[in-house]
Formats: sequence, C-alpha cells, structure tokens
Amino acid sequence: MNGMKKTKVLFPLLFLFFTAQGQEIDSLFSDSLQLQQELIRQENISNLSYQFRLMEEPSSELDSLFDFEETDSGWVSPKETDWAKLDSLHGVFVGYNPSLEYVIYEDIADQGGLENYLQTLIRTGDFVPGFDPNSNKIDLVLEASKDVFRPLHEYKLRILADYKLFWVTIIVLFFLITAALMITSMLIFKSQRNKRENLKKEYDELIIGPLTSLLFEKDLEEIKQISKLDLVEIFPEKLFDKPLFKQVMIERIIGLNKKMKGEFKDKLKAFYKATGLMDITRRNLKSKRWDIITTGLVQVNEMDLSELLQEVKKHTNSSNFHVRSQSGATLLNVSSTVNLDFLRDQKYPLSEWQQMNYLRIIKFVHNTKSLELDKLFRSENPSVRLFGIKLVRMLGRLDLLTGLKELSTKASDEEKIELLKTYETIGAHMEVDFINSCIQSENQELQLEAVKVAGQLGDEKSLQLIIGLFAHNPDFELKKSLMRSMYLLNPETFERYTKDQFSEEIVRIRAHILDPLLTHV
Amino acid sequence: MYNFLFYFLIEVFGVLFMILSFGTVLIYFIIMILSALEMRDFRRKNRFADYQDIITSPIAPGVSIIAPAFNEAANIVQNAQSLLSLHYGKFEVIIVNDGSKDDTLQKLVDSFALVKTAFAYNPDIETQAVRGVYRSTNKSFRRLIVVDKENGGKADALNAGINVASMELLACIDVDCILANDSITRMVRPFMEETNRKVIAVGGVIGIANNCDVQDGTVTKYRIPESTLGRFQVIEYFRAFLMGRMAWSRVNGLMLISGAFGFFKKDLVKAVGGYFPKTVGEDIELVVRMRRYMEEKNQKYRVAFVPDPLCWTEVPEDESVLSRQRNRWMRGTIETLQLHRKIGLNPRYGFFGMVSFSFWTIYEKLAPILELMGVLYTLVLILIGDFSAVYFFALLTMIYLLSLLISVFSILYEQITYNNYKDKKDLRRLIWIILIEPFVLHPKVVLWGLRGHFDFIMGKGGWGKMIRTGFKTAEDKKNIQTQTGV
Repeated sequence: MNGMKKTKVLFPLLFLFFTAQGQEIDSLFSDSLQLQQELIRQENISNLSYQFRLMEEPSSELDSLFDFEETDSGWVSPKETDWAKLDSLHGVFVGYNPSLEYVIYEDIADQGGLENYLQTLIRTGDFVPGFDPNSNKIDLVLEASKDVFRPLHEYKLRILADYKLFWVTIIVLFFLITAALMITSMLIFKSQRNKRENLKKEYDELIIGPLTSLLFEKDLEEIKQISKLDLVEIFPEKLFDKPLFKQVMIERIIGLNKKMKGEFKDKLKAFYKATGLMDITRRNLKSKRWDIITTGLVQVNEMDLSELLQEVKKHTNSSNFHVRSQSGATLLNVSSTVNLDFLRDQKYPLSEWQQMNYLRIIKFVHNTKSLELDKLFRSENPSVRLFGIKLVRMLGRLDLLTGLKELSTKASDEEKIELLKTYETIGAHMEVDFINSCIQSENQELQLEAVKVAGQLGDEKSLQLIIGLFAHNPDFELKKSLMRSMYLLNPETFERYTKDQFSEEIVRIRAHILDPLLTHV
Repeated sequence: MYNFLFYFLIEVFGVLFMILSFGTVLIYFIIMILSALEMRDFRRKNRFADYQDIITSPIAPGVSIIAPAFNEAANIVQNAQSLLSLHYGKFEVIIVNDGSKDDTLQKLVDSFALVKTAFAYNPDIETQAVRGVYRSTNKSFRRLIVVDKENGGKADALNAGINVASMELLACIDVDCILANDSITRMVRPFMEETNRKVIAVGGVIGIANNCDVQDGTVTKYRIPESTLGRFQVIEYFRAFLMGRMAWSRVNGLMLISGAFGFFKKDLVKAVGGYFPKTVGEDIELVVRMRRYMEEKNQKYRVAFVPDPLCWTEVPEDESVLSRQRNRWMRGTIETLQLHRKIGLNPRYGFFGMVSFSFWTIYEKLAPILELMGVLYTLVLILIGDFSAVYFFALLTMIYLLSLLISVFSILYEQITYNNYKDKKDLRRLIWIILIEPFVLHPKVVLWGLRGHFDFIMGKGGWGKMIRTGFKTAEDKKNIQTQTGV
C-alpha cells in the first residue's frame, strides 16, 4: 500500500520535471538539424568540441585518418573544435553509422545539455546566434498558451520553509494582538470605572435628599408600610430597577446608619426591608464569590438583619478567611444571645486579625450580653483556647480564673505563656505555684516569661528558684530577666548577688536595671 | 574542523537567543497576568479591612522601626519627628547613628532631650562597638531610642538596631524616607492575617518623591520628576513594584524586599544572624537567607507584599549617582546569588529554588551579559555575512513591543489602581519615556550592570574572608558557611 502511495506521488513529480525539461529545449532550436546548422555557421564556440563514436572497429584506412581511441563503449575519434568541418568529416564515414557527441570542456553532453550551455553563452554574449531567439514569429497568444504558468514557490513558501522565521512571525503577531487586546481592555475597564464612579455620584445626589426627608417626615410605621408605588414617587422608577442604583442606596443607608442612633436606625432598617434591599443581601449571602458573600455579611452586620442569621451561620466555617472572619463578627454583633459555640467549633486556626475584630465586638457587647467565654477553653482548636485566655486578660474577667486553672493542668507551653501574661495583668497571686512550675520549665520562652511574671507575683520559693537559675550563668536575656525579677522581689538579695561582681555583663545589666529611664526596657 | 565548530556554535547561539527571547516574552506575560490577579484580590480584600482597630488593639504586634543615619544632620530631627508621629499604638523608633562625622547625634540630643542611659547592650548579632544608647527624659518622646555606634555601614547599623529592638516586628527603613501615617497598620496586616503559614517578611512599594508636594509626612500632590532619568525611574518603579513584586508575591516567590521599607519577624531575623554587613546587597541577601532557613527547617512560610503607596523616597537624577547605585545593586545581586548558589535549581528549595532563584540569575544577574552577547553575536553574523536582517528586525520588534507593553501596562495599572499621577501632561511625558527608553536609557542600564559585574570580578565589595566574619554569630550561618564551602 505504501509503495502504491509513493508511486502516486512520484508520477506527478516526474511528469512535472520532464515537462519542465522539454520546455527548455523547445525554446531555442526547433530540432537537432537546426542546431547543427547553427553550430556549423558559428565555426568555433568557446569550450565546445565534438567527436565521433563508432560501435564497430574502424578499418585501418579510417583509423589512419582519425587515429581512433578504443574505449569500453566503442572507438572514439579525437575532439574537433572546428564546426565548419562537421559535414566534410561526417562524409568520410561511408558504410559506418557514427554517432556525433558534443563535448563541453571535457564532458560529453546531450542535446539538452548543449542547449543549456548555448543559452548561458547567449546570456554572457559569447555566442550570438544567427537567428533572433526572441523573434516573435509565432502568434503571441498561441505561444503563451503553450507556456504553463509556474509561480515563484521559493518566495511564496519561504516563511513556512524557514521554521525560525515562522515562529518569530507567529510570536510577533501574537504579541501585537495580545498587547492590543490587553491595552484596549484596560482602557475600556478604566473608562467603565470612571463612568461608574460618575454614575455613583449622580445617584448619590438623587438618593440623599429624598432619603433624609423620608427619615424626618415619616414615622416608623409609615416607613414599614411603604410600597413600591410610594417608592416610585420618591425615586425615579427607571433608576430604581438598576442594580448600581440599589448598590449606591445600600451604601448610603449603611453610611447613615453608622452615624445615627435610636429611632433613626430603626427607620433606616425598616426602609431597607421595605425597599427590598434585604433580598439583595440574601442573594449576596448565597453567591459563589467570596467578596460578594462578605459584602452580604457586612450588610447584615451593619443593618442588624437578624432575620438572616441562619444564612450567616452557614459561613462560620468557610474555607475563605474573609468570609468566616466576617461571618463570626456578624454573629457576635447581631445575635441577641451571643452564643460562642461557633467560635468554639472553628476548624480553622484563628488569626490575630480575626481575634482583633472579635475582641472589638466582644468588648462592645460583653457589658450588655451574657458571654460564656469559658466555652472557648474547651475548644479543640488551640488558637481558640489561646484567644479565650487573652479575652480573660483583656476583659479583666476575674470570675474565669477557675476555668483557667483547670485549663492550666493540660495546657501547652504556648497556652502557659498566655496564662502567665493573663495572671500578671490580673494580678493573680494565688497562681504562684503555677508560675514557679513554669520557672523550672525546659522551654526557654516559657521560662523567660515565668521569671518575668515572678517579679510581680512571685514568693520566696520563686526567689530561690531565680537564685538557683542565676547561679548557672544563663544567657544574657534570661540573666537580665532573672536580675530584674530578683530586684523586684527582694532588692537586698539583688544587691547581695550583683554588687561588687567581677562579671562585666552582670555589672552592665545591674546598671541597666537601676537606670530609671530604662524601667520597662 | 574549526570551521565546522565555529558555524555549529553560531547555530547553537542563534537557537539559544531565540529561546531566550521567546522565554522572556512568555515570562513577562505570565508576570502581567499574575500581578493583575494579585492586585484584584488585594483590592477586594482591602474593601473589608478596617485599619482603625489595629492602632489601639492589644492584639496587634509591636513594631520596632529601625532607621540607620549617617551624616544626616540636615534633616534628622524632621525625619525623627515624622517617624514618631506615625499612627500606631505599640511601636518604638530606633535611630542608629552610624558614626556620623557631622552633628547628627548632637542635633537629636538637643531636640529630643536625650540622655545617655546605662542600657545593657547585648551584641546578639555582632556589630561595631556601640558607644551609647540614648533615651529622652521627656515622656512625649518615650518611643525614641538613639543608638550611637562606630561606623560599620548600613547593614551593621541595622544589626545594632535589631539588638536593641524590643518589639515583635522590625521595620527597617531609610531614615530619609517619607512614610504615610497609616504605613505601619497596613504593613502589619499580612502578619496578623495568615494562619497556615508564618509570614516572615512584608515588603512595600517605594514611591518617587522628586518634584512631589509633601505635607505632614504624606505626598499630597504627585508630579513626575523634571529630568528624563527621574521619569525613567518612575516607570521602572511601577514595573518593579506594581507588576514584578505583585506577581512574585502571588506565587510566594518574592526574593527582594527593598531596604528602604521592609517589615520582618524579629525572632527569625535573629535566628539567621541579622543583616550580612559585608555585602552591598544586604536587603536581598537577608530575604534569601530567611527563606533558605525556613525551607531547610521545612516550615511553611510566606513573604508578603503590600502594594499600597506608603513610602516615598527621592531617587537620583544625576547620571553618575544613578550609575553607582545600579552598579551597587548589581554587585549585591551577584554576591547574594553566589553566596546562596546551592539553592539554584535545587528541588529541595521548592518553587523558591527552582523558579525564583533561577529567574533572578537569568533576568537580573546575567541580563546585561546576555544582552552584550546578543550584540556581539549580531556583529559576528554581520562580519561572516550570515546576518539576516529579517530575523534581526523581527526579534528587535518583538522585544521592543514587549518593552512597550510592559511599561504601558504598568502605567495603566497605576492609573486603574491608585491614579496618583492625574495630570495628563505627566502621562504624555511618561509615554514618551516609554518610547525612547529601549534605545536611550536601557543601554545605559546594561552598561552600569556590566560595570557591576566587572567591579565584582575586580574585587570591589569582595567578600571571601568577610563571609566568615559576618556568619560567626548564628549557628545557622555556620551551616550556610559549611554548605557553600567558603
């Protein structure tokens, strides 16, 4: 099968090749006789000679005339360059059938080769034919019809044949198109943004006036009863159906809500619901995009939309940091009974950013709502437990010290450090045993914190432990902490152990501790 | 035989240059896309961030701002006041007088009622001798600490500041930088947000203050610089900060945090032994070393980037000053990449080793050499008569278009995100700079980079023995020393 295919391809190629060759010969001489007559007429042609070849052995008489040379393919006469003798020499071979061979330089050429050679000589001016090769004796149309059109493939296909140039061209084109697309899209984006900003300003002006008068002129019940027909009277109907207009309205209402108090807040909330903006918030909460969900959560939080708390709860363990962070903040803020279960059950670690946000809300609500902070101590999530300990410290919840004591029995070193800081802030002298146990810890960070706290809350045992550690020449940081705590617990002991010391380091630390400008450094 | 080898090499170089050109195009396209995505996400996140809480929250980390000063008497008081007025609850300002020859220290002492304290300086990181630590008797300046020390260079001064710092985070800045009032709150956020990985450092954008109006420590009116060199640097900074670093930040591949404005975790900086004082590229070297440390400890980490305009500095508009700066940057890059060469293409260092480090090696360190080779290659082709004008102009067009595209993109990026340069004349001037940059300014940058290579080879800022000096202080540095075989 493959052979068949190859043959199919080869034939047209060969056909084309031979057709092309034929066209070259026909173009100069009509036949070999005309060619020979022209050669005879020229007499001498540069580097062109001829010879005769006999297939049978020449007679001695003939041989004496030409001095034939015997070869594998017969007897060859010497080369002759005078074409005028061609006829007379040919006439000698009576009874023989010699073949005439053209010799260009030293090579034998056929008639086609000779034609090509003569054409070259014509071009260089070394051969001037006796006829005009360009004479147009035949009708031009007929002549043209014989000529097969041949396009210049070598130029047409050059870009495809050269792979490097091809790829360069492709990349440059790709580049130009992409660059144009990117720049165009960015320009469009910028113009759309500017247009949007201008529209927002325009809508804002349309909203603020009617909204303010609505708040002052109508009472809460009236606002609750507002229908769509009433809204059309207040705001242009066409605009009210536009999402951007509604977005601007939400932003404006939230902005006003932040600044207002009491009945005005209720009115704004009522208006928010009456105008159907809450449906937008609900849709936002169900979105697949995290930023839209978070926008919805912010709207619930700001407008106190407790009706949507169930939707909010679904997001408390979202894999997206911003969604779960905002949903937690919203739950804490909006829920009437602040239930910390969602925080206790957090799967993801609580970041400091989240802790900061939650702390702000908890600080705000802990005076008015009951907060079961001890739930956090029982969380499976270490970061939540740590946050719980911090909350005790930051809210000053002495009532939770029992819970902390329980926690301390199974606390990690990190939790112990946080417990120590909390005890120090609260002034929990009763936890001195815990502090002393931490002073003996192998964990350097925990030990350092415990020594520091012992300076404030320690007892005689703490002092003995500190002296024991000091005797073992600890590193600079611990030594400094030990000396400061020693000074705070008992200045006399401090004097005894640090005065008249030979250690340059102890002298420096001692001076540091006694310097009033460095009290907390 | 030699003839064949010559032509074979010509062919190989041709293919290599072609791959490099296409690689460059591809990489910069990826960078553009990544930076756009990162910027989009950053802006979305910013919509929900309330920075007011951080200022007063007890949970927010403390920040030690360290600003080395050398012969800064002219502006030091103003700069210190500007730093002390930043809006943040828990921070201290440590100005390190690095053996100034002028009256920098005296001006500080007089202006802030400073007295020398008995501060027990602990050279946790080895530095030049500290002559004294000063604090103010005026409680209004309780946040200010001034360290007076023998001259040892910027990195040494920063190390002295680190030894004195008492807060959890370090903000290493240039004392003459202008910081926005809310710069700390914004830079601290990535440290507070991350839960799964430890944020070891955060970089910020450096804006160009030349020709701008500054009021209360903030740039109030943006104008592009008067000089061509200044304008060129505006575009360069856009490209570097708004595109390059944003893109690398998205894939956690940032290797450089500008020495003029960077935040770091103090415990980690101390663990790796602080800044390396014997290199001129101490900023990139520290980040690379911190990353390397985290990779070797198999700890999850991140180097973050905040694209908000928070810090401004004056850039050199004089060609000789700029050339020295670029020369120094190049030497710093070479030194760092050489010192940590073990990281390159080492799968043990993950994306950092395989991609970031390799990118820096090719597109930062080797870029001027490759460009020079490209020019030489073209000359050889012309000499041997094998020069193809078609290829040459096609490639030239491609690279020129790439340059235009990246620069235009970065300007549009700035316009879309921050829109600080509002004057249309400024934009037109920037576009003109973009058009001429590849022919007028870029060759100079290449030349300065080549001089950096030459100076490095000639031993300017050499570091052979000095590595040992700088690496003595921390155990991990000893490890690096062993690994690099220095």
